Amino acid sequence: MGKANLAGSNRQPWQARLLSLAPYISIGLVLLVLPSFLSTYPLSILTKVLIYAIFAMSLDLIVGYTGLLSLGHAAFFGVAGYAFGILMVRYGIESFWLVVPLGILAAGIVAAIIGYISLRVSGVYFLLVTLAFGQLLSVAAVKWTSVTGGTNGLVGIIKPHLGLPGFTWTNFSFYYLVFLAFVICFFLLHRITNSSFGRALVGIRENEPRMQSLGYNTWAHKYVAFIIGGLFAGVAGVLFASFYGIMVPGHLGITTSSSVMLMVIIGGAGTLFGPAIGAAFILVLERFASDLVPERWPLILGVVFVICVLFLRGGFGSYLSRFWRRVRLSVWKS
Amino acid sequence: MEVLRVKGLSKNFGGLQVLQELSFTVEAGTKLAIIGPNGAGKTTLFNVLSGQLPATAGSVYFSGQEITRLPPHRRLHLGLARSFQINNLFLNLTLIDNMLLALQGAQHPHFQMFRSVNARTDLLAMAQNLLESMDLWEKRFDPVATLSYGDQRLLEIAFALASKPKLLLLDEPTAGLPGAEATAFADTIRNLVEDTTLIFCAHDMDLVFSLADRIMVLYFGQIITEGTCDEIQCDVRVQEIYLGSGRSSENVGSG
Repeated sequence: MGKANLAGSNRQPWQARLLSLAPYISIGLVLLVLPSFLSTYPLSILTKVLIYAIFAMSLDLIVGYTGLLSLGHAAFFGVAGYAFGILMVRYGIESFWLVVPLGILAAGIVAAIIGYISLRVSGVYFLLVTLAFGQLLSVAAVKWTSVTGGTNGLVGIIKPHLGLPGFTWTNFSFYYLVFLAFVICFFLLHRITNSSFGRALVGIRENEPRMQSLGYNTWAHKYVAFIIGGLFAGVAGVLFASFYGIMVPGHLGITTSSSVMLMVIIGGAGTLFGPAIGAAFILVLERFASDLVPERWPLILGVVFVICVLFLRGGFGSYLSRFWRRVRLSVWKS
Repeated sequence: MEVLRVKGLSKNFGGLQVLQELSFTVEAGTKLAIIGPNGAGKTTLFNVLSGQLPATAGSVYFSGQEITRLPPHRRLHLGLARSFQINNLFLNLTLIDNMLLALQGAQHPHFQMFRSVNARTDLLAMAQNLLESMDLWEKRFDPVATLSYGDQRLLEIAFALASKPKLLLLDEPTAGLPGAEATAFADTIRNLVEDTTLIFCAHDMDLVFSLADRIMVLYFGQIITEGTCDEIQCDVRVQEIYLGSGRSSENVGSG
């Protein structure tokens, strides 16, 4: 688990603030201009990376900051994608301004229900209950063929209409929608994790009974964090559904939940950018591995995971933030 | 004015009766010491008063309001704060982060999601005040795990004071401190809690007699006696409990 940043440093001069923003701005600029140099396939990988980065950051709020090990996070991703797709395919609602908020809202409602029940227990029981809910929804998606399309998946989802005359989606313009969503989600989650509420979540992760005797209603904090995590997973789910045009039951269950959990752990739980890096790392690795040694991907992923857990405690995120702090200090001194 | 009223309070762990029908009241401004041998039920009483453990029977009133079944966080907001016998801190976080958590816990509302903690100058000023009064401000960026045991002990007290409580419960504030350090620590505590109603328990009799104006003696979950320091010092039963443990039980009634 990453340590919280230094709080209480008095307001920094603008040079220091600019320096601390530098990595975010430079990565943002790279993501902004990179598509111009990419052909269709690499661009689709990059789009997928950003979608999963949102998904992984949303799980990080629950796992990394609040310390709740949830193995059912894909439920919110999947429900948002399915709700979005069902509205479009079964009801013919194709306006962006309707289907996107409704899809995200569906994820939030499901998170409110699942969280209300599963937060009655903690630790490994919480993990099992969230896992069970994910599997339950995934089985429901298999059985409820008339609505969800069953094991064949829900097909025919298109990219929603923005209502702009003469505008049609291209891979290029859709990438920028995802990029915009990523920037907004990162900004909001960054604000949340650095707020009083976010610090309280870290306190709950570190020592929940103590937080109660300090005056915190820890249950309410965990519940709100769980719903917020669900809403952001919903953003990723909606983008995913419209990008690939299909949702399958596996998107709700353990397969998806565990791969996003891997992204969080390898990237560094408790640092917001870490899970985003974890998402990029795993998806790019997957792309090369399935080129070179198709069918061996799960094996490679397993080995990578073992290596990361043994030698990269705390994930990439904690190493990078330590490295960056040292750079900042040395720049600041000179 | 009465701050705390405890009526017939009992706590059982299975068949073990740790607290047996305790009844007492605490007036505002009192410094009440609870003493008694190990296993007397002092820490359990604190845990029941602050809501960490549910009472088996009886009731607790705080400023006239019944709080017997309130969760710990609600009791804190009413003005009842506590420290722990064994340091109970956020060891991986820095000292200032610890202090800010304690300060913002006492405030309403907690669900401020978009304002950076670093912009909360009100909280920072309070944290600086408290930490400076304990000579800890210089160490504010150190992780609490790296602080000395005595400094951690001070932080434990600072946590309890952060909410400016009406009633403060200190469970063995000097526990684990070597003699000389404990004496200095007692002075610090006396300055900090001057205006607060206080209940504390301690084995260190120097601390008890220097800090308390009333003493309650707890023995196997029962209140043996309660009174001023002089009364307690002269009490035969108390002397027996502390000096002659073997004979005490048969003589309890006769003294």
